[in-house]
Amino acid sequence: MNPQNKLSRRRFVQMAVLSAGGLSVFARCTKAYSDWRFFTGSEAKLMDALADQIIPPDDWPGGKESGVTNFIDKQLIGPYIRFQDTYRKGLNGIRESCKVLYQNSFESLDFDEQTHFLELMEDGKLTGDLWAGNFDRTFFKLFRDHSMQAYYGSSRHGGNKDNISYKMLKLDYPLIIGQNRYQN
Amino acid sequence: MRQHSKLHKLIIPVIILFLVVITAFGSFYGYWDSASPSKTCSSCHEITSSVEILAESPHRNLACKECHGTAFSNGMHSLKEKGKMIFEHINGRSDEDIRLNEAQILEVMNNCTRCHKTEQARWLSGGHSARYKDIFLNEKHNKTEQLNFDCLRCHGMFSDLNIGELIGPLNTSGPWKIKINSTESNPVIPCLACHQIHLLGSTHQNPDYSNPQNASYNRITHNPVVSFYNRHDKTHIPAENLPLLEVWDCNRPVNVSSDPIMRNCIQCHAPNGKHEAGTSDDRTPRGVHEGFSCTACHDPHSNDARQSCAKCHPAVSHCKLDVTTMNTSYKDRQSPHNIHWVSCTDCHINGRPLNRQKR
Amino acid sequence: MENQKVNVVVVGAGAGGGVVAKELSTAGMSVVLFEQGGWISYDDHTDDELHSERNPVLGNSCGPDDKRYRRVNIHPDGSRHVVLPSEGDYNNISACVGSGTVTYGALAWRYMPEDFKMKTTYGDVPGSTIADWPISYDDLEPYYEKAEWEIGVAGDDRLNPFAPPRKKPRPMPPFTHNKEATLLRDAAIRLGYHPFSMPMLRNSIPYGGRPACYRMRTCIGYACPVGAKAGTHNTVIPVALNSGNCELRTHCIVSEIIVNGQGKITGVRYFDQNNKPGTQLADIVILSASAIETARLLLNSKSAFFPKGIGNENDWVGRNLQGHAYPHATGLFKEEIYDDFGPGSSVGICDFNHHNPGIIGGGYLANSFIRMPYSFAGVRPPGAKMWGKEHKIFQRENFRRMADVHGPFQEIPNFSQRIDIDPEVKDFWGIPVARLSGKTHEENVAGCTFMADKAELWLKEAGAIKIWKGSGISNGVSAGQHQAGTCRMGNDPKTSVTDKFGRIHSTPNLFVADGSLHVTNGGFNPALTIMALGFWVGGHIASEWNKGNRFK
Repeated sequence: MNPQNKLSRRRFVQMAVLSAGGLSVFARCTKAYSDWRFFTGSEAKLMDALADQIIPPDDWPGGKESGVTNFIDKQLIGPYIRFQDTYRKGLNGIRESCKVLYQNSFESLDFDEQTHFLELMEDGKLTGDLWAGNFDRTFFKLFRDHSMQAYYGSSRHGGNKDNISYKMLKLDYPLIIGQNRYQN
Repeated sequence: MRQHSKLHKLIIPVIILFLVVITAFGSFYGYWDSASPSKTCSSCHEITSSVEILAESPHRNLACKECHGTAFSNGMHSLKEKGKMIFEHINGRSDEDIRLNEAQILEVMNNCTRCHKTEQARWLSGGHSARYKDIFLNEKHNKTEQLNFDCLRCHGMFSDLNIGELIGPLNTSGPWKIKINSTESNPVIPCLACHQIHLLGSTHQNPDYSNPQNASYNRITHNPVVSFYNRHDKTHIPAENLPLLEVWDCNRPVNVSSDPIMRNCIQCHAPNGKHEAGTSDDRTPRGVHEGFSCTACHDPHSNDARQSCAKCHPAVSHCKLDVTTMNTSYKDRQSPHNIHWVSCTDCHINGRPLNRQKR
Repeated sequence: MENQKVNVVVVGAGAGGGVVAKELSTAGMSVVLFEQGGWISYDDHTDDELHSERNPVLGNSCGPDDKRYRRVNIHPDGSRHVVLPSEGDYNNISACVGSGTVTYGALAWRYMPEDFKMKTTYGDVPGSTIADWPISYDDLEPYYEKAEWEIGVAGDDRLNPFAPPRKKPRPMPPFTHNKEATLLRDAAIRLGYHPFSMPMLRNSIPYGGRPACYRMRTCIGYACPVGAKAGTHNTVIPVALNSGNCELRTHCIVSEIIVNGQGKITGVRYFDQNNKPGTQLADIVILSASAIETARLLLNSKSAFFPKGIGNENDWVGRNLQGHAYPHATGLFKEEIYDDFGPGSSVGICDFNHHNPGIIGGGYLANSFIRMPYSFAGVRPPGAKMWGKEHKIFQRENFRRMADVHGPFQEIPNFSQRIDIDPEVKDFWGIPVARLSGKTHEENVAGCTFMADKAELWLKEAGAIKIWKGSGISNGVSAGQHQAGTCRMGNDPKTSVTDKFGRIHSTPNLFVADGSLHVTNGGFNPALTIMALGFWVGGHIASEWNKGNRFK
């Protein structure tokens, strides 16, 4: 008998047994799996566009490329769990307002239009129930701060990919520093 | 008799159950052991990105277990750890920042040496194979400088313990003791200190060492075989992403090689906070050898440089100096021939060789 | 949990408590030292800006943590905010063995003689609680010296003509300046000021068995990886523990001071590291939990004998909360002035600490510590874009061309800036939390404006091409890491909480030894003064005890 055959027959038995029992365990895994931890796919796309507005790409990578969305997504199931509702509500608000103002999604606007929209937001000039109580200003300030943390903070939190902002500021990272040496 | 029949009735279902469990578990394990990572290990998405990187790496043809062993490799510890991870995962507390602990790092290292025997032998012959007791129980050092957290940046970077948990007392009077005996003989700079296995890159290509002076320039930098393990971030930084050293010889900037491997070296063999040449553990070549990479002379694993002079220099120089017997050691600060900073004028004062100078 | 009675319980292992525990345990008294946090490992936070004490947006790696701690902050508009330790309004100080002395910038100032006599020097200020300390600089001088030598200070007064008189120089030479500080030093000399290298609780040479500072980028807000920064955790607390008379109980939360049926203080109740309640009886209880937490503990210890909280008969506990306003000017230079030679802050002047025309008090001015990139992203001239292309370009063009001159301004205390107990919010252990309210005295505006002008002048002389400035007065409670004044010492029990040795007036055996005692807070970082007060209070108790006084 050809060993190849033997193996495949054994594999068949294994697969049968696996599908009977083992798969129920993995069902949980596949169900929970998503590219993001908190954001939906479309929220993440919107976040990427916002990140590139807060820190636009130029000679150096922008917010999107440096992982701002990843940072915020990661913190939203950690230290920033208290901001989950704010993000859900805020991102939805941006989507809705853009629909009304431009009949388009934020991501599809050209760069300057996006900037203009965010300036309205920053100044608290968006209208509608969604933004009651200056929520436009509050939410803008929040993701502005978080984007800055992502881009300029330590890379271990999911942003500042390849320590790019430290390189941009010509800061050695890791710091090159030797131990103390004493002359005896 | 009635009792016996009752037992008899039980025996058969128990045996059947036992056989089913054994078959199910055995075949499950058999499958687990042989299928591709994407169907097994990495179906836990905590390690997906790690597996994806491996698929693009020089070690792409290796199965997880070849380096990491199986779930049974280190007995109860492994099983307990995996059980805990499954429990956490099912409870929605997935930890994506999974790290190997030091024992696992050393296990991986043992597996490295199955294939990389030459490198291992060279490493063993050089200073980088020092053990915890060699470094942390060095009386001469410990009396002049109190052990501190930062020691672990370059020695024992994978230690699960902080310096106070690892060794005591933290003072300059001693006597010092490594608190956990089993750690004493572990290496402080294992393979993974400078090498990242899950790393984008093509299969291995050696630089052309035939001309040592050029070794640093013909290195293929998009295949960074070296990656610095940064204890602060608990992650590797590929050598090409490490900063270039700026170092000053008085007010003159020293010309430093851009060799990525050297960037890895200088992370630990570094100058003081002001980056003054020759301070702390800085050995950046100045003088006649300025601009050389460490690797121009040193073997990267043994750090041995004994044969390297003769590659460029005739054994006996024009002024009748025998380069093979010169004291070039960096350890001897008085040596006039310390190759790290020997300059033309050290010997040729006023343009003339030293042995022809008038007294 | 039953514990054996000891001579002394000390609550809080920070600048004050660590020193007191050492003084008493080495004098032969048995001490239990409580600390709400644990020992800090540099591995826990390294050089991570987002976890540092000054910017703990992702949670303070040296504690307190966001899960279990809360405070309430009342804004000037009357709005009430429940705040987390990672938020600025919390006014956090590291919660760990050594507390703020692990993460501070380690400036090691002696207050000036005038700082102890603010009322005598400046007279009454309407609406303020300005007063003289019951002790003078001369009383405290020997204790400053002890702090400087036992904990370790680098510095030299010879270039500072305003330095208070001293008997003994500091044990270590001063630090050298980096490029920015050198530039500012030269400018100050040209202006006729008297610049000098500021005193630091940081090793400029190996001292106390610990190595010298190797000049990293990060320092303030972070633990020191080499142990060059001296705090109580690596100096006096180990001495206390080695004496064999001191037991340090980490991760313990003291919830209440026990008052017995006769109205006597007999110990403390606490939650241990497993959150189980316990009691610790003692002859003497000493509070050194910081200005906010010491006051909170007193106010939370209500009984038939002390219905308003211990020591609060006249409503003075928690009052006179003070921090420091930080008037500043920020300047941009044409050339790069940043040389990555840390940790920054080294050149200072004391030309404006006192006797400024028309100004009450003053403070020193100095260059600031290196700002890490996220923090720098918040530094922009007024009106500049805080995001987008312009912001990013500013960041990379100016990170290495900026200098910041600032200093702590001595605030005039007032009765309404205070902490009390919030009626609703409780922490993880069910203990009612501190509520902060009030505002700094209006008189401080003129002083801070004056200081900001001087900072601007200094930067201009140094060659800054664009300068902006600010008074640094917070629009709300001023406490921060320099928090002080909530249990002020005094000779009159009607207008103070403790006597001049830190003993609560209405009790024989309950003491305070931390910044709460400060009557006024000087124009300086308070750490060395808190340490000196620790030696002062601890020294007094130890010598009385050994004379047979049992504080009954």
